[in-house]
Amino acid sequence: MALRALTAALVLAVPVALVGAQGKTTAPESFKVNGQILGAAGGVASAMTMAIDKYTSEDDHKALADTLKTGGHAAFVDALRKAPAIGTVTIGERTFTVRWARTLPVGRDHRRVALVTDQPIFFAGAGAVDAKPTAGYDLAVIEFTIDSVGLGKGTMAPAARVKAGGPTGVEVDDYSGKRVELMTVRREMK
Amino acid sequence: MRVLTAALILISAIAVGHAAPQSSKSKSTGAPETFNARATVGSAEGRGDAYISITVDKYTPEKQLQAMENALKRGSAAFVTALRAAPVVGRLTVGDKTFDVRWARQVATDKGRTISFVVDKPVYFIGGGLPGAKAREGFDVAVVQLVMDSSGIGEGRLVAAAKVKPGGETGVEVEAYDAEPVTLRSVMRIIVS
Repeated sequence: MALRALTAALVLAVPVALVGAQGKTTAPESFKVNGQILGAAGGVASAMTMAIDKYTSEDDHKALADTLKTGGHAAFVDALRKAPAIGTVTIGERTFTVRWARTLPVGRDHRRVALVTDQPIFFAGAGAVDAKPTAGYDLAVIEFTIDSVGLGKGTMAPAARVKAGGPTGVEVDDYSGKRVELMTVRREMK
Repeated sequence: MRVLTAALILISAIAVGHAAPQSSKSKSTGAPETFNARATVGSAEGRGDAYISITVDKYTPEKQLQAMENALKRGSAAFVTALRAAPVVGRLTVGDKTFDVRWARQVATDKGRTISFVVDKPVYFIGGGLPGAKAREGFDVAVVQLVMDSSGIGEGRLVAAAKVKPGGETGVEVEAYDAEPVTLRSVMRIIVS
């Protein structure tokens, strides 16, 4: 199984590489998101809500990033699950806890938002008769970019594991090898 | 856990097992023939769609159907054993995966026909990708029912992972693994020139 390295544009790697670049506080805030994943036979679409009470502080972020570098995925998961809950991802009647969230500006009028939940959300393709084991995919990783109006798009690894490595220092391996496309992201008006 | 009763799937075929099957010589309703359909499932979490195709080389002879029905009276395991010993009579294709159909039966109705298929393996465990999904043991087959009109258009149901067992008022129960029913829409018999 190929471990897919995310480039500097994606998820954890950006905050790791750009510690100190956290943008101005916008939380609490929430986003309505429509996601889809397509396969050879068809596709699945889902609506979800992502609520962020506050973003992870610089110190907490650095501690988690250091844990990943020194202890790998298992240590990172342990540390993440001990971190305070700072948001939720809700899909239908299911709610998942966000324990890591970062945002940072991109260009003049965009910002990138990245979230990590402390449990996997969905193992895409795991319903197949010959599906591979799901063990070890302990998290979900979400990343999207929105403009100043609050509209954007992104991707989600609904069942993922992370490890230090690659050009950016962080690699995310998704269970299915294929990401959920977040086709529309809309920041909720207060 | 959803137990499908008399109105569904196999039951219609088994319960009316002594109704006269349609003639396999009919050009508009006989094997070999192929049906295309869109399978759709929806829940609070989202909605999924997939295209499936079912090809029937021939309908299962009455004698073999009877043997499988008799096996079912001895339980689910006996039914699965008998099913897997029966000859392949068709294929169900989803994307790049193909499954063997070993039970195919059609029964004439006022408006067309009701067709039932049993696949010798589960096709997909819908909901199996959720964390904490229930155990898959015993869901060893898949069941399809199509209700077709005389022009070759219809609708249907798919139990993508099913447990067929004796019981209930009709003597047959089909338990579905999936929490949400899968509907087959836009079912069309493919016209071969």
